[in-house]
Amino acid sequence: MFSKNILLVSALIILAVFVAIFVIVVILDIKKAKRLQQKYTWKRTLTALLFLLPACILAYFFVLLPIIYSLAYSFTNYKLLKPNQIEFIGFDNFILAFKEMFNKDQKLSRAVLNTLYFVVLVVPLQIGLALLLALFCNAKMKGNTIFKVCFFTPVVISLSVTSYLWKQILSPSESGMFNSILGLFNIPAKDLLNDPKTTMPTIVFISAWQGCGYQMLIFLSALTGIRKDLYEAARLDGCNAWHRFWKVTVPGLRPTVLYVLVTVFIGACRIMVQPMLMVGYHDNSVTLSYFMYEQGFSNQLVGYSSAIALLMTIIVGTITLLQRKLLGGKK
Amino acid sequence: MKKSILFMMLSSLLLASCVDGGGDEQPTDESGNKIVKIMFHVDKNSSEGKAYQKLISDFNTEYEDQKIKAAATFKARTAGGADYEQQLIALQIDNDLPDIITFDAPNCASYADADLLYDVTNDFTQEEKDDFLSLNTYQGKIYGLPIQESSAGFFYNKRIFADAGINVSSYTVENPWTFDQFKDVCSKLKARGVTPVDMRLDATNDETATYLLYPFIYAAGGSFVSSDGLTATGYFNSDKSKVGFQFFKDLVDASYTSYAIGATDFFTGKVGMYLSSGWTIPDLDNKFPEQFPNRDSWGLLPYPKLETRASATGSWSYAITNNGVKDKSCALELLKWMSSASSSTTITNATGMIPCRKSCVTNYAPGSPESVLLNQLAQTGKERPVTVGYPQFTTSFSDVIYKLRTTNDISATVDAAANELQSELDKR
Amino acid sequence: MKEKHIRELINNEEVVIVKKNTISAFGKVIYYLVGACLSLTFLFPIFYMIAASTKSEETIAQHAGTILMFIPDFAHLGTMFNNYKIIFGEGYNVGRYALNSLIYAAIAIVLNIVINGAAAYAISKLTFPGKRFFNAIIMFLIIVPVETSIIPLLSICKIMLKLTKSLSILAIILPSAISIFNIFLFIQFFSSIPKEFEEAARMDGANTVKVFFKVILPLSKPILATVAVFCFIGVWNDYLWPTMVLTDENMYPIQAALTTIQSIEGIETGQIMASLVTTSIPIFIVYVAAQKYIVKGFGAGGLKI
Repeated sequence: MFSKNILLVSALIILAVFVAIFVIVVILDIKKAKRLQQKYTWKRTLTALLFLLPACILAYFFVLLPIIYSLAYSFTNYKLLKPNQIEFIGFDNFILAFKEMFNKDQKLSRAVLNTLYFVVLVVPLQIGLALLLALFCNAKMKGNTIFKVCFFTPVVISLSVTSYLWKQILSPSESGMFNSILGLFNIPAKDLLNDPKTTMPTIVFISAWQGCGYQMLIFLSALTGIRKDLYEAARLDGCNAWHRFWKVTVPGLRPTVLYVLVTVFIGACRIMVQPMLMVGYHDNSVTLSYFMYEQGFSNQLVGYSSAIALLMTIIVGTITLLQRKLLGGKK
Repeated sequence: MKKSILFMMLSSLLLASCVDGGGDEQPTDESGNKIVKIMFHVDKNSSEGKAYQKLISDFNTEYEDQKIKAAATFKARTAGGADYEQQLIALQIDNDLPDIITFDAPNCASYADADLLYDVTNDFTQEEKDDFLSLNTYQGKIYGLPIQESSAGFFYNKRIFADAGINVSSYTVENPWTFDQFKDVCSKLKARGVTPVDMRLDATNDETATYLLYPFIYAAGGSFVSSDGLTATGYFNSDKSKVGFQFFKDLVDASYTSYAIGATDFFTGKVGMYLSSGWTIPDLDNKFPEQFPNRDSWGLLPYPKLETRASATGSWSYAITNNGVKDKSCALELLKWMSSASSSTTITNATGMIPCRKSCVTNYAPGSPESVLLNQLAQTGKERPVTVGYPQFTTSFSDVIYKLRTTNDISATVDAAANELQSELDKR
Repeated sequence: MKEKHIRELINNEEVVIVKKNTISAFGKVIYYLVGACLSLTFLFPIFYMIAASTKSEETIAQHAGTILMFIPDFAHLGTMFNNYKIIFGEGYNVGRYALNSLIYAAIAIVLNIVINGAAAYAISKLTFPGKRFFNAIIMFLIIVPVETSIIPLLSICKIMLKLTKSLSILAIILPSAISIFNIFLFIQFFSSIPKEFEEAARMDGANTVKVFFKVILPLSKPILATVAVFCFIGVWNDYLWPTMVLTDENMYPIQAALTTIQSIEGIETGQIMASLVTTSIPIFIVYVAAQKYIVKGFGAGGLKI
């Protein structure tokens, strides 16, 4: 039970580190407040911390600790079925990852390319679609709640159900739904999901179809938040609808667009379920998350899989911060 | 305040460290019965699951006096098969495995290598061991006993064959058809306007495609990995292995088979032949009376040969686990019960598969599908490659099968897959 | 207060103006036509799923390529629900498992709202030193992918299970009770609640706990509905995690039953579709019930990061 003791000791050390950082931040804040002649009351601070306590305990055990452990695993040769034979192997996992990443015969290089392809296509498509649908539903027309419900329905139906459904629809046999429609126009049956040329575009389309309803709702709430008097002022200035859109709607949506961009980007980087359920672990469909999953579970290389996760987190995190810096503008 | 939180967490963690995984003794229930846990990979409402339940309840009546009680859990593996494995892993993380598990035969090496399985070599007499058609061994030691045996072959629709004027009665296990004769039958079927054969090329998302198709590579004289299971290059992509893969490619190119055959197309008479395992026999007997009213309407053909004969084997097996319980006597009692001759018969009666013991094998009528499967097992059965990297192997194999639909250069595809498999094996 | 009043006045005027500017009948027709077409694009797979779930394998093949693909098999009223009968029959315990899932979802929703809501309230409304620390951690945790941490999470939950002996329900409930993303959503929404409400309550002598439960939460129905819906969807659709931590079959969630059904050798398309419809219906009901709140749940003015 060697590993279990390490688990416990490290948990305590991690907790101590976090508490220490928190205490330092608190001291800094109090000093700053003194300079600005503000005051924190003990009672309020204590209530606030009590409010935070349950979430902190749960987040520590079920979110933070697992992430930190998986970070630590990335420097070991942890194999799933051999938890008692963990060895520290330094940066070997990362060196291997870089080797595989730049070897075009390896799945990892395909995973990087496919993920990149997916992100580059799906982010603009999904956001653009969501915005168009939001503008459509925002029109003052009777009964457009029904449209809203329709557009949002794919979101509430689970990823695995929609993946399964689309796999059936796009089934390569001639009686599959998609091919039977092609058959009406005498177009030979196609296998969109398994033809390497069309695999990722099809997954992009299906993902955008499934996901854009959610972003549509966020845009809708942002649209209702834009002050109506601004439109009126623009109208009085003689702006036509197109100008009003660019001068009032677009600036009003700016913070929301940034939010949607960041969340869709992060979500897109994690794509896994759709290729896994609809295609399988092949060159034309493997993505970074899927690669991580296969290495971790099927091939039982938890250490290597964690290293990939760490690399991915660093890349995604950097790009996210860049997006915030570049597009955030003034607050 | 913060101190008290810290204290609470500290004490809870310390408390946790005192709890150790699994005691040395077999756990007991309130009335002092020793509880032996066993986990099955099938749905408990399936006919196979019901057979297991019957065996367990019989065991509990039989061993009531000795105060041993078996407790079964059922965790059906889904089409992907990954979730039964994940259940095992979840239990194994905390050394919480049941005393007996079932596992798919090719995983034996990787489980035994990880020290998951208990070595039962010395717990069975030589006579008993000889009675089994096969045993799950790794590095010369026995880790598992098969539940039942399986083999596969080509089910064919006799009506379609008669319409096309094809006579296959001379193709037996002893003297099977060749690759060329197989293609010849396919071309005649195609000329009649039916899809000749469903090779299950689309079943690459789970073990099915590997299980059904690997014998072709052996039949072509090829191989997959070195005898220690750690080298793939030079074996997986040897010239003879490539001949085997080329055969699949030829079938695809000539439109004898395709990736677009529906799951029930054979049963509804749209396809002439269907590559499948013995588990299809009950379906053909019971489920499709319109196309297959009786046993005269369908038959079973063996795997074709090229250089040698080879056929698929391997099914699920029982194994005792190293779960911290030191005294394995109770688990052994249950294992012996479950793998006894009468238990074996009970299960194969429910599943229609072949018994794992020679003493249980009934004399099937010559030419009957069961006899074809049994003869294949005895004469030409070849197990899937023994390697600790079996999951990686099956991924690479499926990948080649998947890529046949688009690639024109089999040799390069197989080479790439072999290199990839090699780099995966090197990571272990 | 004054500014708000003015804004309300302006908004009222806007309504009047819009009423004057009515859209032509032709425009309306175009609008509804486009809307209907778009809706069909979004819904056709679902129509297909529902229709196929009422048909036998043969009928599905017959209907391929015709409009009948999207229409349930009314021609065979007697056998329409055969697929459902098969799925609910033979002791697959769909009902029991569904009940389990409902219980897990209900507990998870309550805990989610109280725990994450309280944390978000502290961060967005209360003043205390060290707030930056929590803000930074939330931002960090939103970015990190969680898929790989499932193995350490499993180890932690297993130790916890050993501690609590048989309370394996905790291993399902507790990890799903914390959601960094929900904290984030709550913070965004609470920030849009004007200070005046809180101050008025405090004048009346309410303490912070009372303010949170009696003032803030009742004002937050939209975000509560949003979080509840997504929490329900999460728990209802979860399959792998519950079957990994639960050892007692009687506690399995609905997805366990449905994946078992899908794994049957030789299962028909229609039966699989029926199982997919069965899983989707409760989620759809919950969503429709909560839908009028969901748009507002993202806070007036949308979300900011």
